[in-house]
Amino acid sequence: MSGIDVDLAVNGLITGLFYALMAIGLSLIFGILKIVNFAHGEFYMVGAYAYTLIALALGVPVWIALPLAFVVGALLGWLTERTLMRPLYAGYTSWGLMRDEYAVIVTFGLSLFLINFVDKVIGPYAYRGPPLVETSRVVLGPVLISGHRLLAAGIAIAVIAITAALIKWSFWGQQIRAVSQNRLGASLAGIDTAKASVIVFMLSGGLAAFAGALLSPVINASPDVGIFPAIKSYIIVVLGGMGSVPGAIIASLFLGVIESFGAVYISFQYRDAFGLILLMLFLLFRPQGLFGEKGREV
Amino acid sequence: MAPSSATSPAADRSGAQLSNTKTTVEFRAALVAMAIVALIPLGVSNPYWLGVLIVSMYFAILAGGWNLLAGYTGQFSLAPATFAMIGAYTTGLLNHYFGVPPLLGIVAAVVVSGLVGLLLGRAVLRLVGPYLALTTLSFAEIMRLVASNSIDITRGDLGLGVAGLLDSRVGWYYLFLGALVVLLILFYMLLRSKAGLFLQAIRDDEVAARRAGVNVVFWKTAAFAISAAASGFAGALYAHFAELVTPELGLIGQTGLIVSMTVIGGMGTLAGPVVAAFLVYVLSEWLRDVGGYQLVVFAALVVIFARFFREGLWGLARAAVQRWGRA
Repeated sequence: MSGIDVDLAVNGLITGLFYALMAIGLSLIFGILKIVNFAHGEFYMVGAYAYTLIALALGVPVWIALPLAFVVGALLGWLTERTLMRPLYAGYTSWGLMRDEYAVIVTFGLSLFLINFVDKVIGPYAYRGPPLVETSRVVLGPVLISGHRLLAAGIAIAVIAITAALIKWSFWGQQIRAVSQNRLGASLAGIDTAKASVIVFMLSGGLAAFAGALLSPVINASPDVGIFPAIKSYIIVVLGGMGSVPGAIIASLFLGVIESFGAVYISFQYRDAFGLILLMLFLLFRPQGLFGEKGREV
Repeated sequence: MAPSSATSPAADRSGAQLSNTKTTVEFRAALVAMAIVALIPLGVSNPYWLGVLIVSMYFAILAGGWNLLAGYTGQFSLAPATFAMIGAYTTGLLNHYFGVPPLLGIVAAVVVSGLVGLLLGRAVLRLVGPYLALTTLSFAEIMRLVASNSIDITRGDLGLGVAGLLDSRVGWYYLFLGALVVLLILFYMLLRSKAGLFLQAIRDDEVAARRAGVNVVFWKTAAFAISAAASGFAGALYAHFAELVTPELGLIGQTGLIVSMTVIGGMGTLAGPVVAAFLVYVLSEWLRDVGGYQLVVFAALVVIFARFFREGLWGLARAAVQRWGRA
C-alpha cells in the first residue's frame, strides 16, 4: 500500500463518518415507521444553513452554533413528525391514498418545499460556514488533512458513539428498538409508540443537521446541497440493512472508502453511478441488506 | 374514495358497475375540460401562452400515464420523467444519426420506452412501498447520469438538436391535444374493461387479487409498460416540439412536478391529474412572473393535499357537487 492509498483510505473513512451521521437517522426512521424519509437531505441542508447563519450573521461563537444547529434540526424533525407523520400510525387504514404512497409523497413534497423555501427566503447563493479551527493543513505521515476536517471527524466519532450507546442501552433507546421490532407488541407492553416516533424524528433531524453543520465550511451550502448526501444515505441504509444502526455505520465507512478509491482508480465521471447500481442490485436481490434481518419486508 | 374499487375482483357485479359509472363520469368531465382547452386558441394567439399550454399538455400526458401506474395499480414509481427522457432520446438519436423521420421516430420511442418499462416492471415486481420508490429513483438517476455523461453520443448537457415537425404553434397545440384525447380514450377503455378492475384489485389487495385468480404478474408488468410507453410518447412529441433533447427531461424535479399534478388533481381518478396538469403548470408560469414562488407554493400544496385532501381537487369538486345537489 503506497502513501496515496493510505491517504485515500483515511479520507474515505472520514467521509464515511459524515455519511454515518446522516444514515443512522434514516435507518432509525425506517425501523420505527417502515418508511423512507425523502426529506432527510433537507435536514442536513437546514443544519448547514443554521450553523452558518447563527455563527456569521449573529456572531455567535462556533462552539455554541454547532449544538444549536443540532437543536434546529431536532425541532424540524419534531415538527415534521407532529404535522405529517402522525397519520402513518393513527388511523390510516381508511385512507384512499395508501400508507406507503402517502409517506413517499409527503416527504418528497416536504423536500421540494424546504429546498425552494430556503432558495426564496435566504437566496440561491452558496454560503461557506466558518471552520472550527483555522489550521489549514495537518500532516500525519502520508495523510494530508485540514485541521477542521480532522477535528470534525473526531467530533463525528464521539457523536456516533454516544448515539449508538443511547440506542443500545438507554431506556428510550430500548423502547425505540422494541417498537421497530414489533410495533403492536411494544404498544401492548405499554410502550408509548407515538413518543418513540417523536424521539426518533428529533434525533434523526438533529444528527443530519449536525452533519450539515460540521461540513458547512467544506460544502458551500446551497439550497439543494442535501440531495447527494441523501442519496448516499439511501444507498447506505439499503447496504447496511434498513433499520439496523450498526449496519448503517459499517456501510457508511465502506461506501466512503469505496468512493474514495473508485473516483481515483475507476472513473471520476461515473463515481455517483456505482453506488446507485449497487443500491438497485441490493434492492432487487438482497433487500434485507448485508446485516439486516430476514423478513423485514414491509 | 368511493368504496367502488372492487376488493374482490371476481366480477362482483354491483362493484363493477359502480366503478364503471365513476370512471365514466370522470371521463366525461375530462372530455369537457379538453373541449374548453380546444377553444382557447380562438381567443389566445400569444405564442408564449400557447407554448405554456402545450407544455401543460405534455405534463398532462405524463401525469395521466403515471396515474395509471401509481393511482390505479398502486405501483409508486419515481421514474416517469425518465421514460419521457428515454422516448425523447430514442427519436432524437434516430433522427440525428440516421435521419429517421420524426413520425417513425415517435413510434420507435413508444416501443423502446414501453420495452424498457416492461423490463423494469418485471424486475421490480415484488418490491413495494419504499423499496419500489428507491429502486425506481436509482434507475432514474443512473439513466440521467448515462445520458449526460455519454457526451460522444448524446452531446451531454448541451443537448441534441432534433428536426422539427410542424411550423405553426397552433398546429402543435392541436397535435398535443389530439394525442392527449386519444390517450384519455384509451385509458378509459382500458379502465372500463376487466383490466381496469384487475389493476384496482391489485392496488387494493394484491394477495386477495391473486387468490381470486387475477394474473398479478401480467397486469402489474403491463401497467408498468403501458405507463412507460405513454411517457415515452409524450417525451418524443416534446423532443420534436422543442427541437432539442437534454438530460434535463429526466430530472427528479420533473418527476416531482408530475407527482404534484397527480396528487393535487386526485390520484386514481381519470380526470383529476389531467386537469390539474393544466392548472398547476399555467399557475406556475403566472407565479413565476409574480415573484418566483411557484415551486414553494406547489410543494406546500402537495403536502397539504396529501395530508388533508387525499382525493385531490377531483374529490373536493365531487363533494361540492354532492352538497349542492342535496341543498
